[in-house]
Amino acid sequence: MARILPIRIWLPLLLVAGTIVVAPQLRHSQPPLQSHTLALLLCGTVALSGYLFAVIAQPEKF
Amino acid sequence: MPRGPRQERRYTERPRQQGLVQKAMVESVRKLDPRLAVANPVMFVVWCSTVLCLLLTLVPNLLDAQAPAADRGFNALISLTLLATLLFANFAEALAEGRGKAQADALRRTQARTEARRQRPDGSTEMVDSSSLRRGELVLVQAGDVIPADGEVIDGVASVDESAITGESAPVLKEAGSDVAGSVTGGTRILSDQLTLRISADPGKGFIDRMIALVEGAERSKTPNEIALTVLLAVLTQVFLIAVATLSPLAGFLNQAPSAVTLVALLVALIPTTIGGLLSAIGIAGMDRVAQFNVIATSGRAVEACGDVNTLILDKTGTITLGNRLAEEFLPVGGHSSAELAEAALGSSCFDQTPEGRSIVRLAEKLGAALPFVADSASGIDFSARTRMSGTDTAEGLEFRKGAVDSIKGFVRSRGGNVPDELDACFEQVSRLGGTPLAVCRGGEVLGVIYLKDIIKPGIRERFDQLRRMGIRTVMLTGDNPITAGVIAREAGVDDFIAEATPEDKIAVIEQEQKLGKLVAMTGDGSNDAPALAQANVGVAMNSGTQAAKEAANMVDLDSDPTKLIDIVTIGKQLLITRGALTTFSIANDIAKYFAILPALFAGAGLEALNVMKLASPKSAILSAMVFNALIIPALVPLALKGVQFRPLSAQQLLRRNLLVFGLGGVVAPFVGIKLIDLALGALRLV
Repeated sequence: MARILPIRIWLPLLLVAGTIVVAPQLRHSQPPLQSHTLALLLCGTVALSGYLFAVIAQPEKF
Repeated sequence: MPRGPRQERRYTERPRQQGLVQKAMVESVRKLDPRLAVANPVMFVVWCSTVLCLLLTLVPNLLDAQAPAADRGFNALISLTLLATLLFANFAEALAEGRGKAQADALRRTQARTEARRQRPDGSTEMVDSSSLRRGELVLVQAGDVIPADGEVIDGVASVDESAITGESAPVLKEAGSDVAGSVTGGTRILSDQLTLRISADPGKGFIDRMIALVEGAERSKTPNEIALTVLLAVLTQVFLIAVATLSPLAGFLNQAPSAVTLVALLVALIPTTIGGLLSAIGIAGMDRVAQFNVIATSGRAVEACGDVNTLILDKTGTITLGNRLAEEFLPVGGHSSAELAEAALGSSCFDQTPEGRSIVRLAEKLGAALPFVADSASGIDFSARTRMSGTDTAEGLEFRKGAVDSIKGFVRSRGGNVPDELDACFEQVSRLGGTPLAVCRGGEVLGVIYLKDIIKPGIRERFDQLRRMGIRTVMLTGDNPITAGVIAREAGVDDFIAEATPEDKIAVIEQEQKLGKLVAMTGDGSNDAPALAQANVGVAMNSGTQAAKEAANMVDLDSDPTKLIDIVTIGKQLLITRGALTTFSIANDIAKYFAILPALFAGAGLEALNVMKLASPKSAILSAMVFNALIIPALVPLALKGVQFRPLSAQQLLRRNLLVFGLGGVVAPFVGIKLIDLALGALRLV
């Protein structure tokens, strides 16, 4: 994927897409702003976890 | 850690600390750029946490509509503490990098462009800029000139001031035809006479250029140990990230609702920020410590390999014994007189420009010997590792030879001569004294033995004892016969020796040790050492050595002191020990942070009993743990840059000692630190 699009384009796209998908699931407990921010935080945490997996897999690149 | 006057002989003055600190402070802010921060996984997680906390400071109810606006002050304090953690870690790295750059600048100053006398094919000279010189061109340098580029001496003898590179003010003799003294470095200055040089490097590819590239670029390539540690730290961070992310639903089950900032604080406190922030600084500082010893390493990998070395292969001459063996006595055999032997010894040595050869000439002349032929009509036979002898062929057909007794025996027999029985007795007599016996012959006639006296360097035995305690095996290589080699080896205290060694033996020994899974270090200076230097895990070339040796080695000793290999190994071990000690300290710190943050997080769920430090309030406990987490990084910067104190102990003893100091210390220190910070926060009424 990195060869097709640079990370600075596909990562924000993924985060936005993830937020749009997850936010409705959280709307029962929080208003729209909070549910969207919470969804973004969840997606960001998953992305951070993915980044750590990438470091573990290819440490010499970091 | 060995200390000595050598440390003061540096090619660069110690960079001014104040300027370095200011530059590092500016650089630590610049390194907040996420594109740079992403290179360090632990600190990148802290970076993300800082951004989240700053957002929650600006909008406290961004994630939870019920969050009170009063949390803004606490969120701001946590954000500032996280920002400080990032800046402190960046500062440590920038300070270490700054020291390397200061060394590169000092080296660059030696690279003044100068005019050079380039020799045309017809022998005339033309003045050209040094930057236009190309490999293979001939230049003439005279007294007072700066040598314009790296080169090999092809004509002349001159003294050269190499202090610009080595810091050593004593001039060095350079002469044509010598393997070791025949290379010069650009930027040094010729003090007397003149030399004709063949340029050996194109512009930008000289020795100093490569050194600058190495010093500047060293911090950019991670060593295998650093990579392994990065993986470990990333795994720990991953585990804690998942644990903290799943803590929120768990807390909900226990009717607790920790705020996002509290969870972030827990995450940052648990991930190994101390070692994560200091890891690259430790590596760069290790390179810097090697450079302080006037040694240039080609990579951090080389310095690190020093720390794992199991076997040191050392040349006898110059490393274990004082460099120059001197002729002490002539022992005639076969009914010949001392005068006859002295005359033959003089004849065999008149073309020999080595210190040994010159000492033979001096002793022979002292005994009244005169050259038995006209030198102009004779030709010199150089010593070689294969023939193991040197000498002179005269126009009258006489062959004077001196060399290893076995070689001379073979030579004499090949000329139809006989070997007197006394020769072996003389050989043993000299060998048992720890001296080197050189047999002398004239054609098929053996005249006697020259006793070359070897002097073992003072203090070398104690150094080998230290190495043995560290689990390092020492092997002495010498061209001497087994009896002499055995005597010297016993007196010096080396573990093993190889007598009558050829350059091929060096490679064979290295390969043999490597097959046993051991890492081998060796020094060398001649072109014939180049293959072995390349084969060894740590090859240290002498600056006075040939270009081939320097290119094959992964370190260059600017002082050309073979004994320094022992110091380099010590520095490598110190680097590994420092990294291990701070990793242990960083991970041990977590225990106190559990006792500070978990009771604060689950205060209503019956975990108050874990508040063994009796911290004032949950917020105070969290903030105290975060402040300690930040402050411990600058507190450990001096230790990271200087390295932990090295002691020549075995691996088990070192492990036990460091576990006690840094493991137990890492457990206890945060309990004390967090409690003191909690008291200070209470006194300042910050939370």
